[in-house]
Order: sequence, then structure tokens, then C-alpha cells
Amino acid sequence: MRYSKYAIFNYVGILGVPFLIFLMFIYAYLGSPTAVNILSYFLLAGIMIFAATGVKEVYLTKKLEGSKQPIITGETTEHNAVNKASHDTRQVTVTIKRFNSSTNQFDNTSYKFNAAKHTTVLESLLSIKAYGDNSLSVRCNCRMGICGSCGMNINGKQKLACETNLLEVAEDTGTVEVSPMLGHPLLKDLVNDFDSFFEKHKSLHPGLERRNETEKFTAPKEYKQSAEQLDKYLPYSYCIMCGLCLDACPVVNSNPKFVGPQSLSQVYRYYMDSRDQGGKGRLFSADTEDGVWGCEFAGSCSKACPKGVNPSAAIQLLKADLIKDISKEE
Amino acid sequence: MDILDYDLIILGSGIAGLTAAIHAYRSSKGSAKIAIISKLHVMRSHSVAAEGGISGVLYPESNNDSQKLHAYDTVKGSDYLADQDAVDVLVKGAPKEIEFFDHIGVPWNRLEQGHISQRPFGGMSVPRTAFAADKTGFFMMRALYDEVISYNGVDIFNEHFATSIIFDKGKASGLVAIDLANRQAKAFRSKAMIIATGGFSRVYGFTTNSYSNTGDGTAMAFRAGIPLKDMEFVQFHPTALVPSGILITEAARGEGGYLVNSEGKRFMESYAKSKMELAPRDIVSRAIISEIKAGRGFEDKESAMGYVYLDLRHLDKEKVDEHLPMIKEITMKTLRLDPSEAPIPIRPATHFTMGGIHTDIGGRVMINPTRASTGLWAAGECACVSVHGANRLGSNSLSQCSVWGRITGTDAVKYALNSSSGFDSRLKKLAERMASQAESFLEMKGDVNPYEIRDELHDTMDTNLYVYRDMKGMIAAKRKIQSLRKRFMRVYVSDKGKAYNTNLKETLEIANLIDLAEVVTECAINRKESRGSHVVIEHPKRDDKNWMKHTIAQKSIRGVKLSYLPVKVLKFQPEERKY
Repeated sequence: MRYSKYAIFNYVGILGVPFLIFLMFIYAYLGSPTAVNILSYFLLAGIMIFAATGVKEVYLTKKLEGSKQPIITGETTEHNAVNKASHDTRQVTVTIKRFNSSTNQFDNTSYKFNAAKHTTVLESLLSIKAYGDNSLSVRCNCRMGICGSCGMNINGKQKLACETNLLEVAEDTGTVEVSPMLGHPLLKDLVNDFDSFFEKHKSLHPGLERRNETEKFTAPKEYKQSAEQLDKYLPYSYCIMCGLCLDACPVVNSNPKFVGPQSLSQVYRYYMDSRDQGGKGRLFSADTEDGVWGCEFAGSCSKACPKGVNPSAAIQLLKADLIKDISKEE
Repeated sequence: MDILDYDLIILGSGIAGLTAAIHAYRSSKGSAKIAIISKLHVMRSHSVAAEGGISGVLYPESNNDSQKLHAYDTVKGSDYLADQDAVDVLVKGAPKEIEFFDHIGVPWNRLEQGHISQRPFGGMSVPRTAFAADKTGFFMMRALYDEVISYNGVDIFNEHFATSIIFDKGKASGLVAIDLANRQAKAFRSKAMIIATGGFSRVYGFTTNSYSNTGDGTAMAFRAGIPLKDMEFVQFHPTALVPSGILITEAARGEGGYLVNSEGKRFMESYAKSKMELAPRDIVSRAIISEIKAGRGFEDKESAMGYVYLDLRHLDKEKVDEHLPMIKEITMKTLRLDPSEAPIPIRPATHFTMGGIHTDIGGRVMINPTRASTGLWAAGECACVSVHGANRLGSNSLSQCSVWGRITGTDAVKYALNSSSGFDSRLKKLAERMASQAESFLEMKGDVNPYEIRDELHDTMDTNLYVYRDMKGMIAAKRKIQSLRKRFMRVYVSDKGKAYNTNLKETLEIANLIDLAEVVTECAINRKESRGSHVVIEHPKRDDKNWMKHTIAQKSIRGVKLSYLPVKVLKFQPEERKY
């Protein structure tokens, strides 16, 4: 079933309501303008608007079901500095919202930290782990913004800890709050569970497709590609799978079934690659209620992406291609 | 304890591991049961950090290149310690690998006719390094990952930390791994196994490498009695960012960047007149350290590190944006420095370990210096086939990983499917004992913080086994490592929890680092010459008469036992190494 056939009515519906009201006003103005007439038209318009918002409301509540757990704050502790001060350092307070899996609560732990000019948030967390509390868990690896391990919320914003300067986020207040992403399930402290994220990525079949699979492994020469063809998909190939875009996405946070901006942007990345022969099948795999049509174009994914990928643009472009395809069919 | 059976287990998920998985799956036509076990999320392995590119002769006519020339450059770069039959395998296989990566989606930079563009690299006579901006390793990893997840016979175990390989009568028959998510130990039984766990540059503190590069596979093999080869040869990359050690690709010099000292002079003129900044890495690293020692460097206040400048200001701004976007991103984000406007502070950092698990030319792990094992392979940086000898040329590592990934994947799965032996039923007990050994750290009532030991080890290695080495320093390092080993017996693990216990994992990693640091130091003390990356002040010359041989290190009751094996010299006789 191609969802875009129905999705198109969504848009017709949204535009249709104000259009109807407009028509009624015109009619009321041109017709016999008695007080009773005008009043009854206003009443009718009111009922229609009420009905329309009601439908939207029911739709959204349905999405919200079974999503986020309530956030409860557990213990709060404060600690002294874990590293030495020098005349080049400035002391900041790093507050870590640690997820405690046994109590299902967030414990707030604060550490003083002597930050140098180039200290990153990740470096401060690892120092705290080594010399403050060994049991703190952080996921990290390359510390150069390319492996995608250390996505977290720093002062409420989606960031990679390894490329965030500690003094810059501490600013004048001298405090930094670090917490795990809430758009993914939690494991421990600052560490999220990525299993469902990887499943979503896999569900839309990324990977270059060729009609003749064996040729992929045996063709003796490169597939040619011009610089212009490269530019069409290159910006979407920078995705490091850090998961920050899903954390930022309001739809993912209310409807866990929505595949989310990451996997959809990758559909577009392969769809636009001149070497790919997946063709329309690729588009159709995203043509579902929880695929491209789940996106409400908030744009927060593109704002959160640390690598400059623009998933929300990719999703709207996929929608446009799907609608073009449907209109061609009809 | 869960027991999982597979025809083939691949330990490690970098370019070598994933390439092996793909070719094992393809060549068995999907009939083999394959597992990839990684202590990371599979797509986050350190291979993503490879920047500059992958070497291979793609267009011999237009580039005036040949496989023979590639082989010559590699052998000369290795300071004649590379086995020349292995180098032949590398240069013959490399072009096919670049094409394969094109077929699975790597966005190569292109020439006008749609051909793959190639850039100059250190020690290469002509431009033969294919690249995707300066994120080549990342793009190769993403392409491999997206390919391998589409295979139904390949199971991926993310974040499973392997603690030991199970050997039964000299045959590897499985391994024990702890699932990091819940600290559950699992036993994997296999008919064939490939180790692809990467290098061990994290025995040093100032390194370009990811936190994960602790050489777990190499250390496990060593403890099981497998010989390691050429462990004294550790590559220092000339251009690592000060103070973080983040890699600034050699491609920055390949694109025309200069190295400049505090007098504003391009000092490489005095060290390698013809190749200048594009001399091999060992030579450039020595030049930088010599300049700093002679007082012609700068000093970073924050870290007290000496450095020189990598200057890209004269390069076309568009070229920097198109060919070196990541370098710009890194310097902007970590130092607030635009490479088009200011020079970049750099100094040599540990980058690659030429040594590793002793294998034959087909990647089969040797059970003793001269006999190959059955059922066990090693590929990528953890293996020492020996193609890099005493010094690796930039961009030869990605080709090595993919060439031997393919060879070992294809051979190992063939072996597994032909193997008549079933899975060992006694293995469960053994695995349980090994798992409880790893977990015993949790019960230890020690008083030593493991991270303190790690940091002291880093200081020791950074000071005493760096670009220039001397006997006094190396012997001091050996003593220090021995005392650290003693103190390590008294470590404590604070985190007793089951969920994502990185404290336990890292303590086990530190144990691996101590083992490997000791081997590196022992091998270095005993090689009484200077060759490639190993330079000893007391023996400043290369000594082909006595030292044209590989070091083999094996575990013994008294520590590390050394022996030597001859180098395979074919076409290229050793000559003076000048650039």
C-alpha cells in the first residue's frame, strides 16, 4: 500500500478548512446580510474549526501513548575538583545527570573542574571518571567528531561532547549541565541504548544497490561519476549515526515508531547516488505513516546535526518525489 | 552462560574485520554462519578516523605509475624490513579494493572524466592515493556497514568485550566475551576465527588513536603463546594537533602544506631535499623533533609541549574546503583556528603499530615462529604480515586492511565449511572459568586506581620510547613497567554494577596495555641499530649485516622471549635510504 496516496489528503484537509471558512464569509457578505444569517454561519465555522482541532488532538494523543517515562530526580551530590588549577585555568562546575538503572532515576552529581582554554566537555568527563568517580560511564571513542559515540545534552542542547569546548558552554555562569539523550532508551549514566536506532537505520535498506549483485563484486573497473553527480548526495553522506537528530525530533519523542530523520536522510543519500540502482523501491520503502509522512517538518534535526547533514530537507525532498510519482501514476 | 556456535567468528569491526565478513559471506554464498564481535558499535571502529586515503595503482598510463614502483616505494619506505613477497600481494590487490569500495558507495573525489582522483602522499613517487575528501576511512566504514547489515547470515554483536581466546591443543576454538549492556558473559564456539582488533597505539598517551586502540586481540594472542613480530616499530605521525594529539592528515602536505619552524623556515630542506614535506613519516617526525630540540620550535603553555607549524595559508581556500574539510572543522572546533588564516601547531604522535600478531603471507596466525596454526587468522593493523617493515607509508594501511580482509575472510570461511570437526563440548567449563577470571577484578579489595597506572604508563612510553630512543631511557621504562605490573595486582574496580560497566572493561584494557608495553620495550632494547621508526641514539646507523631480520617475541615464564627471522628480499636489494 502506497501511503502517499492518502497522505496527500492530509494536506488538502489542512488547506481545505480555512478555504471553506473563507467561502462562507464571501457567501454571507454577498447573500442577504441579516444578523441571524451571519450568526449561523459563524456558528457553523466555529463547529468546523472545533472539529478539525479535535481530530488533530486525538491524533497527537494517540502518538503520545507509551512514549517517554517521567523524569524523576534522585540523589544530589557535590564534589571537589579532580584536577589541579593553574594560572591558565578557570574553575567551572560540571553537573552530570546520571541515569541510575536500578532506581530508574537521575542522580545529579556535581564536580568542580579546572578548565583550560582548549578543554572539551568529553575531556572533563573522562578526568572526572579517572580521578573523581571511576564508576561514571560515558560512551566515547575517536574524540575527533567522526565516530559518533558521544552525543549527549549539554546545557540542554544536542552536542557531541568531544567537539564542545567546556569554557564556551560554561560562559559567565561557570556551570555546565550534562545529561544523556532522552530521545533514545537509557542504559546507564550518560549512555543510551542504540539498538532500536540501528534497527530503524537497517529497516529502510541502506547500502548501494545494483541490479546485478555479482557485478558489484567482480566488475573490474570503477563506476564513473561526475563531480556534479557527487555533489547531489555528498552532503547527506556525512551522517555519523550519533543519534542527536532523533533526540531533537519532537515526533520521535512522541511517537517512538517514527523511523526518524537519520534513516530517512540515508534513504535520500542512496536515492540520489548516480551509482545506485535501487530506484523507486528505495522511495517506496519510506512511503509509510511512520516513514516520511511521520515528519511534521519541525526542522530541529537539521539544527541538531553536528556534521551539517540536513535531514529535514532530505525528508521534504523525498515527500516531493513521492507526490510527483503519484501524480504521474494518475 | 550462553553458548553460541558459529562457523566463523570475526573479532573486531574495522575495515579489515568488516571486509573479511563481506567476503566470507559472499564466497560462501551465504551458507556460513558468521559473527562479528566488537567492543564498540560496529560502525564506530577506529578505521573511521583514517583521513588521507588509500593507495593503489589505478591508472598506470596517465599517472606514469606501475605496481613495481608502488612496491619499490613501499619497500624503501619500510627501510627494507618489509617482506617483499607480501608487498607484491599488497600492490596487486590494492587497485581491486579501491574499485570494490566504489561499487559499495564510497564517494570518491573524481576527475573530470568521472575517474577516481588520486593525490600525492609521503614516500610515494607519484600521486596514487585515492581519497574521499579527508574522511576516507569514515566513508569506507559507512559503506561496509551499510553493506554488511543487509546480509542475513552475518550476526553483529555490538559492544561485546572479548576477554580471552580459547585455545584447545593449539587450535583456536572460540572466545569469551562480556556483553557491555548487562555484563553478561557469553561463550562463542567457532570452527574458524579472524582477529581484526586493530593496533595498540594507546600504550602511549600522546596519540592520534581512538580510546579503543588498546590492542586487545594482540595481547590475548600473546598471552595464549602466539608469537608477536616487530613490536619495537611504532610509527609517529608527524602532524598531530597540539595539545590534543588529534590527527592532521598527511594529505594536508600532499595538497601542498609546508612545515615551518620558529624562524619561519621550511626546515625539511635540510633533512629530505627532494621530497621535502612529503618524505616518509619517520624522517619527517625526526626532523620536527630535531628542530624542537635545537630550539627552533614553539612551546604550548597549557601542555608544555614543543611544536612547529603546519602552514596551509598559501593554499587556495576552495581547495582546502573541498579536499580538507575535516581538518578545517577540527581546527575550528578545537582551537578556533582557521587553517587559511593561521598556521596549525603540530608535533609527532603515536599513530600506527607496524608490529603485531605474527602471520604468514595469507594472514594465517603462526603458532610458533615457523609453523602456521589451523583455524586462526589475523588481518589489519593487529597483524604483522610484514608489508610495512620498520615504517609504513601513508595510505598503505587502508589497502592492507582491505587486501588482507578479503584474503582472510575468503580463506577462513572455506576452511570452516570444509572442517569436519564439530564444536568442542568441553569448552563450556573452560569458558566459564575464563569469564569468572575476568570478573574476579570486581571482588578484589585493592587500593590502586587503575587509571593512575594507565597515566603513568603513558608518561613512561611518551618519554622513553618516542621518536629518539636511548638505552638508559628504555631500561628505565622496562623497570617502570615491571613495577606498574606489580601495582596492577592491587587495583580496585569501583563500579560493581551490571549496566554498561566501563570501569571493568577499561581495567581489562589496561592489563592488555601493560603486557604490550613490556613487549615493545623489550624488543626495542634488543634491536641494536636504527631502522625506520626505531632510532637508538647509541646505534645511529642501519646495520644490514646483523639486523636485516624480524624480531619475534613470545611469552615465557621469565617474561618475553625473543628470537629472529630473516627478511624476504626479492627484487629490491637494500640501499641507502635518501629522499
